Amino acid sequence: MVSPVAPRRSVAAAVFFGLLDPIPFGCFVAALVFDITYARTAVVLWGKAAGWLIVIGLLAAVIPRLINLAQVWITGRARPLPGDRIDFWLNLIAIVAAIVNAFVHSRDAYAVVPTGMWLSALTVALLCIGRILVAVERNRPELPR
Amino acid sequence: MNACIQRIATMSVIVALALLAACSGKASLSAEQQSGANPPLPAARNFLMPPMQVPKFVGWTQGRTPTVAPGLAITKIADGLMHPRQLYTLPNGDVLVVESNGPGEEPVTTFKQFIAGKVKNNSGKGAKGGNRITLLRKNASGSWDKHVFLEHLHSPFGVQLIGSTLYVANTNDIMAFPYVAGATRIDAPGVELADLPGTVNHHWTKALLASRDGSKLYVGVGSNSNITENGLDIEYRRADVLEVDVATGASRIFAAGLRNPTGLGWEPTTGALWAIVNERDEIGADLVPDYMTSVREGGFYGWPYSYFGQHVDTRVQPQRPDLVQRAIKPDYALGSHVAALGLLFSDTNALPPAYHGGAFVGEHGSWDRSPLSGYAVVFVAFRNGHPVGPPRTLVSGFHSDDESQLYGAPVGLAQDFDGALLVADDVGDTVWRVTTAR
Repeated sequence: MVSPVAPRRSVAAAVFFGLLDPIPFGCFVAALVFDITYARTAVVLWGKAAGWLIVIGLLAAVIPRLINLAQVWITGRARPLPGDRIDFWLNLIAIVAAIVNAFVHSRDAYAVVPTGMWLSALTVALLCIGRILVAVERNRPELPR
Repeated sequence: MNACIQRIATMSVIVALALLAACSGKASLSAEQQSGANPPLPAARNFLMPPMQVPKFVGWTQGRTPTVAPGLAITKIADGLMHPRQLYTLPNGDVLVVESNGPGEEPVTTFKQFIAGKVKNNSGKGAKGGNRITLLRKNASGSWDKHVFLEHLHSPFGVQLIGSTLYVANTNDIMAFPYVAGATRIDAPGVELADLPGTVNHHWTKALLASRDGSKLYVGVGSNSNITENGLDIEYRRADVLEVDVATGASRIFAAGLRNPTGLGWEPTTGALWAIVNERDEIGADLVPDYMTSVREGGFYGWPYSYFGQHVDTRVQPQRPDLVQRAIKPDYALGSHVAALGLLFSDTNALPPAYHGGAFVGEHGSWDRSPLSGYAVVFVAFRNGHPVGPPRTLVSGFHSDDESQLYGAPVGLAQDFDGALLVADDVGDTVWRVTTAR
């Protein structure tokens, strides 16, 4: 009797992912809040803070995104859930949007508005959708086989 | 489903790269094409990455010198200086060399600033200044002796002698020092005449010019930002020409809206105050031309709300249509991002007649332009007190032909007793002397 091959899972990867993955999400959400505040007040502190948050979020995203890449496409489960793959792509687009946004936020003063705010909103929306999809899929009642 | 998402992902990467590539706008107008009273002004753009080109510092190696226009000759009269920025000829023919650079007081508040600081250092423009003044005196053999004249200054720039008092504009105040004719050193501690806007010092140079009767000092004070990205609060008394009463030290704003007035001079025919001004960055390689203009008392010249009259800059909030409406259009554009940092009016001199009766301008060159512009000394002819014709380059060759290496960059200008043109070079740490070729 041969048991099915257990998916290879690294505890270290899970630990790093668990610690680091929330940081970019938090940074990007905070950046969106600050972008909206800057657009409404024109107080430069908010715009600059949003710019830093996006850069920090991007730097913090490097390791968890690489772990996610490996988990979804390489070491993955025996039968990877489609939601994980969609989540991977949504995250990738979000990162691209955030990279563009980091450049937009390097503009001076009110030249960041409104593009920066919309890119922040796009980044956050993509990350939210990914998280929702994964959460719904993981918690769906098991269908009888 | 997956294939569809993959396609979307690929597309978004391509779009992002295309956006980045499209943002590196190259200049299409030369400084000459964009000079004069009515320079062509393309539409303003916002970039992901502004046009940028910074040659790498190599210095003047193997006896290399700047190149001069036909009929001129150039020699080195002093080197080994610490970032020489300004030159000033004393009544006895001694030449003061102000060795200075920014005080480095501006906090790093953006990621861009962090990167830009590193890039600037690579070009040699960020080298530490001497915070002192060196005196050059021509000796019997025709070469120039160097004397350390005045030390322990704080990012000095402008210097003016009124009677027996030497006024030095540090980045944060005007100091008065007793000067004895023929002295090669001042040890007196000096007395503060007036303080100057001294916070942040994004633009740190304080140009200085005495009125003819010696009763007033005019100070060029640069803005504390490119375009108000550090907030409007710290622009108080910035981007203007201050008038300081020499007797009391009391000051007032003489003219405003001049983003970075780095050089002041009296136009000889009309006696009007003129300034060279560095305009804003990051809305295009061909925007906004730096300029020279007569400065009217009470005049407003646009910064930050508009440029060249009523061209509104949308990066500034809140907008001020009332100020835009009365913004004076500058008299004469010098070209975009030439970075004019030295101004010298010269009626007569020892150069050929083509260089008489006009203004010499030292153009330091800017990071925000590709291909490079500036890095030259130009001459603008004046007739009846007004500039005529395009600027003519008389000293160039400060960078390699392929624009990858930087040897030097011209800044302050002065005329010595023999009528030769002196050029401070703060990247090559040299003072050059331009004469008629024999």
